[in-house]
Amino acid sequence: MSRLAVVTGAARGIGAAMCGRLVTAGFDVVGVDVAADFSGVVADLTTDDGMAAVLEAVDSRGGVVGVLVNNAGITDDARLVNMSEEQFLRVIDVNLGAAYRLSRALAFADGAAIVNVASRAYLGNFGQFNYSMSKGALVGLTRALALEMAPRVRVNAVAPGLIGTEMTMAMSAEVREKMVAAIPLGRMGRPEEVAELIAFLASEAASFITGEVIVIGGGRGL
Amino acid sequence: MTPLDLPPGAFLAAVVPDDWESVRVELTRAFEFTKQAAQEGVPVVYVVRSEDLFGRRGACPAMIACGLLSAARTAGIEGLKSGWSVNILAVDEGVVDGEVERWAARLTEGGGPTGELVRLGGSHLGRLQP
Repeated sequence: MSRLAVVTGAARGIGAAMCGRLVTAGFDVVGVDVAADFSGVVADLTTDDGMAAVLEAVDSRGGVVGVLVNNAGITDDARLVNMSEEQFLRVIDVNLGAAYRLSRALAFADGAAIVNVASRAYLGNFGQFNYSMSKGALVGLTRALALEMAPRVRVNAVAPGLIGTEMTMAMSAEVREKMVAAIPLGRMGRPEEVAELIAFLASEAASFITGEVIVIGGGRGL
Repeated sequence: MTPLDLPPGAFLAAVVPDDWESVRVELTRAFEFTKQAAQEGVPVVYVVRSEDLFGRRGACPAMIACGLLSAARTAGIEGLKSGWSVNILAVDEGVVDGEVERWAARLTEGGGPTGELVRLGGSHLGRLQP
């Protein structure tokens, strides 16, 4: 399998942890992020220019991908009755459109693996019609690509619950405490724990697993 | 599935070409439909093909069907206090005439289940639910 990996949303949180984990596993990692101060490929994956920048970076490093982690994601919460079309589309474009377009655009090696980072919110979450729909659709994409790309490429998804990232730390302490209280394991997850699960799904150890969604949320869905 | 005579709260997922822009347009249509229904308190049912929940007809229909399933779950949570309901009806090919309309009507009466996936046909049996 190619040792070239692509990770989107790589500047921080789960994406940054994933890059570190893949480097440790011996991968040449193309990290992609929209943050201007990011040291990897700075690209907005909702644009054609951004997509071209990623493809150029991949081409310059052999062109054939062994692992793709579609991790780029944003939130823009509001109750449905108050949500604007702009809010809706901003989230759909980043969380779903970028993953779909990148999965279609890249060339994959035999034995490659795609891991899509969905969210436990695909099971439903108040104030997140846009986010929940985008992550549910990402699960649909996972299932369809798993069928379409088998047996050459495996495609799976992870659905993290409350993870200690910048996105969740932006919530008020009160909201966070309430959410943690509903988690049987009694804490937020760590980005490294999600990265470990993704690394497993991307590895030969998961060679008979495709089309799955694995929730990593400390038992919150029970 | 050639509907049919569906109630005002029914949203029938369109068959779309295999491109991102078409998916984007269809999801936006669902968003606008659901938002308006929420504002007016009209119960909603999304109607999709069962095989699309499993990804068997390609990526674009799968993204729409599974996106609508999650939308029903989230909208169901948001409407819980006010009694506004949103459900999703997944239909196998070959379901007898009238069944889709009958179930769509039942699920848009309100006062019943919400955030629920109802399946017509048996193609889902023994398979993983999304």
